[in-house]
Amino acid sequence: MKSVHLSFICTRIVMVLVLACAAALPQLLRGYFHYTALPSYASPYPLTLLISLYLCCLPTLAALLCLDRLLRNIKNEQVFIRLNVKLLRVISWCCFAVALILLIAAWNYIFLILLSVMFGLFGLILRVVKNVIEEAVNLKTENDYTI
Amino acid sequence: MAIIINLDVIMAKRKMPAGELSEQIGITSANLSILKNNKAKAIRFSTLEALCKALDCQPGDILEFRNDD
Repeated sequence: MKSVHLSFICTRIVMVLVLACAAALPQLLRGYFHYTALPSYASPYPLTLLISLYLCCLPTLAALLCLDRLLRNIKNEQVFIRLNVKLLRVISWCCFAVALILLIAAWNYIFLILLSVMFGLFGLILRVVKNVIEEAVNLKTENDYTI
Repeated sequence: MAIIINLDVIMAKRKMPAGELSEQIGITSANLSILKNNKAKAIRFSTLEALCKALDCQPGDILEFRNDD
């Protein structure tokens, strides 16, 4: 239970961090491009990158909200339920959405392709976990209804 | 579902109350209700045996196959 509680707190912290980063994103990007060597293909004010990262914030927040709900269910000892399967599916699709946005943004900023692959892989792993939980829910239902 | 449990019919024929039956066969009334309402996914041989003993009947009297096609 302690582990779940820690995950719960971490999720909330990450949620606040994402919101804070979203609020300060223009300043953060300007600062980043000011202090690092600007790639020749990148514009001094990276508007496309800014839009891409803002677009990434939406699925990220949605995934974090789902994660929060998932952890709340686990805390209430409701692990193998259909709702958790649905939440995992949404989180997985959110990862794929971020991967797609970053892949499009990688057209201008090639380094984003690494992040895109990472999110895509993460979404795939979550999808497999979702499939496992889905099968476990089926088994549990069958077991519960075997008299 | 193709397999139908006619437990309520047999219970009515034997005039056996649900509470007494669940007590005799050693299952909860909630599980007996699942059986009676055809919501069960499977039935253990031990439960079927206890049911047949308590209701003095054969498995065929409790279970029925209906072709849905």
